[in-house]
Amino acid sequence: MKREARSKKRLLPAPCFPAGTSELTLGSIIEEARIINQQRISGQIFRLRLHSPGIARAAHCGQFLMMRVREGTDPFLRRPFSFSRIYPGDGDLEIIYRVIGRGTWLMSQLEPGSTSSLIGPLGNGFELPIDTTVPLAFIAGGMGIAPLLELIAQVVSDRGTKGPEKLRLFYGARTASELLPEDFFRGQGIRVHFATDDGSFGYKGRITQMFEKIMAEGGFRPFELYSCGPLAMQRHVADWALTNDTLAQLSMESLMACGIGACLGCALPAATPGDPESERFVHVCEDGPIFSAGSIKWNKILVQQMHPPTWLFS
Amino acid sequence: MEQNPGPTDASPDLAVQLGPLSLKNPVMSASGTFGYGEEFSNFFDLRRLGAIVVKGISLKPRAGNPPPRLVETSAGMINAIGLENVGAESFLAVKLPFLRDLGVPVIVNIFGETIEEYAELAARFDGAAGIAALEINVSCPNVKAGGMVFGTDPAMTSRVVEAVRGATRLPLITKLTPNVTSISQIAKAAQDAGTDIISCINTVAAISVDIFSRRPRLANVLGGLSGPAVKPIALRCVYEVTRSVRCPVIGIGGIANAADALEFLLIGASAVQVGTANFINPVAAVEIIEGIERFLKVEAITGIKSYIGSLDTSCLFPFAEDLCAAIASEIS
Repeated sequence: MKREARSKKRLLPAPCFPAGTSELTLGSIIEEARIINQQRISGQIFRLRLHSPGIARAAHCGQFLMMRVREGTDPFLRRPFSFSRIYPGDGDLEIIYRVIGRGTWLMSQLEPGSTSSLIGPLGNGFELPIDTTVPLAFIAGGMGIAPLLELIAQVVSDRGTKGPEKLRLFYGARTASELLPEDFFRGQGIRVHFATDDGSFGYKGRITQMFEKIMAEGGFRPFELYSCGPLAMQRHVADWALTNDTLAQLSMESLMACGIGACLGCALPAATPGDPESERFVHVCEDGPIFSAGSIKWNKILVQQMHPPTWLFS
Repeated sequence: MEQNPGPTDASPDLAVQLGPLSLKNPVMSASGTFGYGEEFSNFFDLRRLGAIVVKGISLKPRAGNPPPRLVETSAGMINAIGLENVGAESFLAVKLPFLRDLGVPVIVNIFGETIEEYAELAARFDGAAGIAALEINVSCPNVKAGGMVFGTDPAMTSRVVEAVRGATRLPLITKLTPNVTSISQIAKAAQDAGTDIISCINTVAAISVDIFSRRPRLANVLGGLSGPAVKPIALRCVYEVTRSVRCPVIGIGGIANAADALEFLLIGASAVQVGTANFINPVAAVEIIEGIERFLKVEAITGIKSYIGSLDTSCLFPFAEDLCAAIASEIS
């Protein structure tokens, strides 16, 4: 099913799907991953590097894994995380997360040398234009930066000496402490436009407002958008892409129990391709997590506000 | 109870007989947690399962409930998927061939909004090759019509089972809800109406809310609780049902390892279904089969059949009743 969906797409597999490989032939596996290191990057944001050679070899940017934080029933379900970096040579993976609840707090306590069970790689992945000279925009909200890091790294490395020239990252969060620090991006050389809702760093306002402002100013016009972030942000990105007739690939998130298409918990309202009036549910784990702007029925999704973590009061 | 002469190397016999249904081992997947089987073929050899119970099928495809559809809770989760499924025709054409080729007994969970729909589904599957049994879902808490509506009233349960019985010669399993005053009463009604086997429990009706948004965590408000949190309730239900009907019972509810499964067998279930555990550990079912086998070896039990229903409820303290009576008379 996935193979058909892929072949219908207009883009040939580029860096994320190098010739001769396929996420299908490799398939997803269960692997006991060893924690290499765990690092607090800023505020409550952590980076976890795991040794998981089977998954690292098969993983493509934009795909995700399901992590069993620890044995037992607390937390009960696995947690989905996109790959923020993939190091197939070392057999390592990185995920970036922010502590927002008990599950992520327990994750932040994991020590190097301990192990966690992973299932992956799961889902489709980003696809890149064959033409490596076209301008691209990446839009990230909060932890939505995670899958874009690997994507940007691959695009930059693919473009050789021209590297990050025509690439822009628009990166926003509620406040400065919820952003990865500026020097995090220096090595990649990509131009980053920061925004925070409270103005504590970069442009004051939503990242989508800043993006629209820069688009209105002219001078930079992306051939395609890649975005990941909260639903409200994704909806704005999709609206802009559709209004401005620009291609967009959005990495969506959802609560999910299994990640492998069995629980049907991660449903999103969508339209059948080619028939925008139709209605059906797609599943983030199997049909995504990457979706085009037009495939999701944004007006049918209840956009919920982010709230303080419940565990502060328990 | 069987004596333990010491561990043995001989492979214990895991085969069980559930009325007309013979299984090579007592472990199957639970409906709605195992997709249509294919989803798990990456992770283990599906042929090792006693049987595969597929996601509930309705006559027409169902879209399911709007998201959010699930939420994590203490030692469990609440779901309100709303029986999203591909529908009978697509199941037969697209999903069944893969399962048929495996050679594992395939049990199709059927769901209708009316009694006629149940009967029509049963008739449709009756002629299809590769279906070992039907499981009648009269216990889904997450749909507006059908499901639990039928399973909470003995007379309605009886009518559904009778209608399905009249439409097929396939072995029939009736899956019961715990959300009733007396599950044994419903079980008896299902038995008298012609079910061959009873399976229990479906999920426990439950709610989760968010204190900040002041909204329910599920779009459907109400959902069904599953996972280890419901196991003691499920054990109690199996205890009551096995003691009120003659037909074999399949135990379901919070089974995550071999010890959990053995608890159900000990109480009297002839087989078990592994549900929510599949989400967290896709190889849970096969680990449970191996664990049961290891247990039987260690306990030197030659076959699982002799362990089933061997629960000893006699009082360990033989004079307890006399003592209580003496104390009671003293108090009065």
